[in-house]
Amino acid sequence: MSIEISNISKTFDSFKALNDINLHIQTGELVALLGPSGSGKTTLLRIIAGLETADQGSIIFDGEDNTGKSTQDRKVGFVFQHYALFKHMTVFENIAFGLRVRPSKLRPGKEAIKKKVHELLGLVKMEELANRYPAQLSGGQRQRIALARALAVEPKVLLLDEPFGALDAKVRKDLRRWLRKLHDEYPITSVFVTHDQEEALDVADRVVILNQGKIEQIGTPEEVYDNPANPFVYNFLGNVNLFHGRVHNGKVELGSFKSSPDNNDQGRDIVSYTRPHDIEIKLEPEGKEFIGSQITFIRAVGPVVKIELVRLDNGEYIEAEISKETYRKLELKEKQTVYVRPRDFKVFIPEDYVI
Amino acid sequence: MNLLIKPFKIKQKSVIPGFGITMGFSLTYLTLLVLIPVSMVFLNSAKIGPAEFWEIASSERVLASLKISFSTSFLAAVINVIFGLLLAWVLERYTFWGKKLIDGLIDLPFALPTAVAGISLTTLYSQNGWIGKLLAPLGIKVSYTPIGIVVALVFIGFPFVVRTVQPVLESIDLEVEEAAACLGATRFQTFYRVILPELLPALITGFALAFSRALGEYGSVVFISGNMPMKTEITPLLIRTKLEQYDYAGGTAVAAVMLIISFILLLLINIFQWWASNRHKVS
Repeated sequence: MSIEISNISKTFDSFKALNDINLHIQTGELVALLGPSGSGKTTLLRIIAGLETADQGSIIFDGEDNTGKSTQDRKVGFVFQHYALFKHMTVFENIAFGLRVRPSKLRPGKEAIKKKVHELLGLVKMEELANRYPAQLSGGQRQRIALARALAVEPKVLLLDEPFGALDAKVRKDLRRWLRKLHDEYPITSVFVTHDQEEALDVADRVVILNQGKIEQIGTPEEVYDNPANPFVYNFLGNVNLFHGRVHNGKVELGSFKSSPDNNDQGRDIVSYTRPHDIEIKLEPEGKEFIGSQITFIRAVGPVVKIELVRLDNGEYIEAEISKETYRKLELKEKQTVYVRPRDFKVFIPEDYVI
Repeated sequence: MNLLIKPFKIKQKSVIPGFGITMGFSLTYLTLLVLIPVSMVFLNSAKIGPAEFWEIASSERVLASLKISFSTSFLAAVINVIFGLLLAWVLERYTFWGKKLIDGLIDLPFALPTAVAGISLTTLYSQNGWIGKLLAPLGIKVSYTPIGIVVALVFIGFPFVVRTVQPVLESIDLEVEEAAACLGATRFQTFYRVILPELLPALITGFALAFSRALGEYGSVVFISGNMPMKTEITPLLIRTKLEQYDYAGGTAVAAVMLIISFILLLLINIFQWWASNRHKVS
């Protein structure tokens, strides 16, 4: 089922949580709503579910206006960050709940419910835990039960609010992969909220980046990562180095580094953004664009070596990531003076943007 | 559904030591305040032989008073559970003007001398009273009938359920209700299947407190009940009547009977309560 979100705005007291949001989610898509806390992502998800009412705008499911419908009638599956399982019910009863509360005409028979629940328990790989109570399960198991419970009513839309937020890193990764696999096998339109950019880029078909109640960018993970629309998106999607400079005589000047500009705003201050893995390190200055820096910290765990440096000319901090191979070849040590250059960067004119 | 009793362990490693001294103190305290006075009832009533004890206990007047005491107390506790839950719900879930004031009013029945409550209720509900006047044309008499006793008992036991349910209601996550709504449950189904089971242990506790408080109540009931033997005479009053006639053995015999029945009932309620609150915990 497709979801059409048009002109949605929501204000809490004086706080503008959502400001004129427009978004189209296609049938069978897995979309991530990504943003820092307070960006309005959870509010948007709750408005889609009908748990919150928008001040204006409409929510349309498959061409049918759902704006005024109650949560009960929207037939959405909702998974909460803190699971929201029914404590006094067993795993089996939790999953069966949605089927058992149906009006008697639509309610499946006892055997049919049992079959359905066991099918779902198989899907979340927890058949042997049917008679346990939620208190007897681990966080990861609880979240899988919450998911099975949401799927039991065969919703047309699955909404997940920071589904893995309360779990530890390892379980989170496993469940993330599992969710992707589940979505590939049962292509149900899914929207999930997260503040973890890695999670969003890893799982989603499309990522919607929200900030202060507005959509900053919509695109596939590659699009948003490689072509961020603005400094906020660039900054939010990964670690970043800033090089301040100005456009001078048609050239971008970054400290002692000059390059052809992307634009022609003469004499304006600019900020260029470079990812740590786009920083090149040399032992000797191999050109004018290299900046002398001192290494302050090295973390050589794993295949990627993280190096922190301080620029000698203005004392600004630079973060670099190089391969272990290069690291060994250069024989880098802390306190050593080296020369760095942004291999690739993106320039934004700082207007009203403040980090 | 786990009724297995865990092996009894006295010594337990704990961050805060002092099991010995706290347990010793608790037992002494309990003995001085509860066990000795209660055992005096049995000792006193033991002065008369079992045959005479049985004769007193099974006399028509005693049986009638026990019936009235237990039935009115039970009914009052049930009413308190229903309306206490409603009040706790309103106070926890909604914000409105004067909420703090109402919250403060709830404890008033505890502070008011029961005789005052008894007199004012009697005046209100007597046939010329403000409320009694309205009920009289309908043929309902409240004062000097068992209904009057129930009214008085509801009044004095009313704060218990509100106060036991309130904190539990506060701790219930709204998300659980939202989850139920997303799964298609109606509001009634959400209340009945999701919220009520979580409140059950607190409701039982409130019921037990209100019930036992009602059983022992004397001050307010004597005014409103009219104290007609066989009709509106409650057991505590019968005991007092016997004591006033210097029939100490008879009075304590009735007290012993009442104590035994109350103890059994409260024990059953506690077992039920214990079951309701422990069945979902990790065993």
